[in-house]
Amino acid sequence: MAYAYLFKYIIIGDTGVGKSCLLLQFTDKRFQPVHDLTIGVEFGARMITIDGKQIKLQIWDTAGQESFRSITRSYYRGAAGALLVYDITRRDTFNHLTTWLEDARQHSNSNMVIMLIGNKSDLESRREVKKEEGEAFAREHGLIFMETSAKTASNVEEAFINTAKEIYEKIQEGVFDINNEANGIKIGPQHPTTNSTLSGSQGGQHAGGGCC
Amino acid sequence: MLTRVKSAVANFMGGMMAGGSNGDHSGGSDLPLKYPYSRPEFLGLSPDEVECSADHASRPIVIVKETKRLPWATGYAEAINAGKSALNEDQARCEVLVIKRKPGGNPTSSQIPMTRRRSSLPNGEGVADKYKDSPYLDRTEDLMLNYWALFDGHAGSGAAVMASHLLHHHVALHLQEVLEILCTPNLLAPTCLGEEPINHHLTPTSQRALTRAASLRGAAGAPCSPGSPPTRFFTEKKVSQESLVIGAIENAFKDMDMQIEKEKGVYNISGGCTALAVVCLLGKLYVANAGDSRAIIIRAGEVIPVSAEFTPESERQRLQFLAYMQPQLLGNEFTHLEFPRRVQRKEVGKRMLYRDFTMSGWAYKTIEDDDLKFPLIYGEGKKARVLATIGVTRGLGDHSLKVHDSNIYIKPFLSCCPEVRVYPLGQYEHGADDVLVLGSDGLWDVLSNQEAAEAVTSFLANCNPDDRHRYTMAAQDLVMRARGVLKDGGWKISNDRLGSGDDISVFIIPLTHASKQN
Repeated sequence: MAYAYLFKYIIIGDTGVGKSCLLLQFTDKRFQPVHDLTIGVEFGARMITIDGKQIKLQIWDTAGQESFRSITRSYYRGAAGALLVYDITRRDTFNHLTTWLEDARQHSNSNMVIMLIGNKSDLESRREVKKEEGEAFAREHGLIFMETSAKTASNVEEAFINTAKEIYEKIQEGVFDINNEANGIKIGPQHPTTNSTLSGSQGGQHAGGGCC
Repeated sequence: MLTRVKSAVANFMGGMMAGGSNGDHSGGSDLPLKYPYSRPEFLGLSPDEVECSADHASRPIVIVKETKRLPWATGYAEAINAGKSALNEDQARCEVLVIKRKPGGNPTSSQIPMTRRRSSLPNGEGVADKYKDSPYLDRTEDLMLNYWALFDGHAGSGAAVMASHLLHHHVALHLQEVLEILCTPNLLAPTCLGEEPINHHLTPTSQRALTRAASLRGAAGAPCSPGSPPTRFFTEKKVSQESLVIGAIENAFKDMDMQIEKEKGVYNISGGCTALAVVCLLGKLYVANAGDSRAIIIRAGEVIPVSAEFTPESERQRLQFLAYMQPQLLGNEFTHLEFPRRVQRKEVGKRMLYRDFTMSGWAYKTIEDDDLKFPLIYGEGKKARVLATIGVTRGLGDHSLKVHDSNIYIKPFLSCCPEVRVYPLGQYEHGADDVLVLGSDGLWDVLSNQEAAEAVTSFLANCNPDDRHRYTMAAQDLVMRARGVLKDGGWKISNDRLGSGDDISVFIIPLTHASKQN
């Protein structure tokens, strides 16, 4: 199917926080309560529309277990967006965010848009991490933030689409050099190649705070 | 694999997310594809996933999904090249096949119709049914076999894709012809089918009977039992069932190659491929190799090589002999002699080191004008080439491959015949960590047998023996050790060596399952 742009996403975060479930909810609109452990990388894709343009999201869902970290590290390469996921019912998954963020920043290109996601918002009674804590972490590190539920589908669409909007804005602002595919953006076959943005300027454009 | 192809695709180097959906190297062919390009069927990848798998920048290691379990809990992992070709030119196949008696066959007769098989070539449905579809497993005349194969394509993926779809059907067809012999325990292969039934059983009391006349002629001295009929006037080789299986596999490779050649007229079948196929039948592993992939068995941490590679270096003497016998194949542009380096015009008349097809060592000869031609075999190690073109000397396809800018065909120098080695599975005890490893050259270019064995052994040792993903994870780990990790923009493996930039495919097949099965 024709698209104007293709964005590569990577989903990261501790094991069991719901990365694969978020992907499944976004691509297939269904929830699978029992999901096998991801032992490497799995892929998903979906078309979305932003500003009247067809955008294909290519999503890399990675294994969260520590033992697979060396394998998944190379998958940051060429990602335009990352969903960094923790589980609001497990404090430790929130505590590990710094490590994940360091890993992501070290192995990705500096313009990668990172969306922080507090998943399992349907499990309010078991909540261990307050929404405000997530917001504060995101503000501090220049991330976008949302709480989602892969089970009820709450905010799942928004999480993926808002990340894409952010990337799209960066393209408009000329932050991303879309001719350099190392930025994780590919121009679709139909896109006129003449009006490409000339840029190599480095970041500093991270829009802070939750945008929803 | 091909020097000139490399430069043609050099513009993919460093390319990101090269689409899997764009066309193959079609060579300008307008013919339709017989099978569209994809990844191995058992991976069950959607077109989107295939596209992701072709990301040359991050080179994802693709593994068998949780939902797609392979027979024997076989592990599989693959990674695409670093940009030398747009598509992953390796292919793989894993099947359980049930070979059935031919329809209409007389179950009591030992006679097997030997009319030339089939008027049409297999196209994906043949004598072999997939295990799951067959309700006839209990029938003694049906034979079940396990099959794994790796194909490493070059100059396009067409031949590899086609062979991955069809080679096992050819194997099944050839095994079907000898099915009844194979299904009779201890039976020697009858020398001539359709003759009076003779007792060929190898039981001690019924050794092959020989007439006095035959004995007098010096036939193998078996005890003469009175009244045993047919007169044998000559000594006869005893042909084992094992040899029949080997012959069936060899002929399957030949038929596969012929089918590619024949159907090139109708379909766009690009390039050629190596083939490494493993058949497990009646308690034995048959490892058939045509090309530079490799199979090793790791048993109790020890490496047992079960294949050898066929390269310009390993097959030099065969190729030189062919060129010596048929010099017209060299088109007056190449010499069949080997020299340590190119001969220069000013060296004519001097004495230089050389090797002919009769030699494994070196000697001196006086250089003549003819020696200035480009050598048939040139280069060393991975860079060795036949006719300055191809670095592998056995495989399927390549029927239209020519020396660049010439009319010299490469195919006459290539053999489609595999070397088949037999591993008697049943004779050994195998533990959960004893495995058969199959890898394309992308793996073995950077890892020695020992390194691979150590990696697999230590990985499995740290893995729950009941984890059904353990062989897949071990395969993933092995592919990563060959691909390496990104460091300063390049792929690096242990000891700061360069990782393999080639397509890498690995099967890890546990051998305990075979023991349980048999």
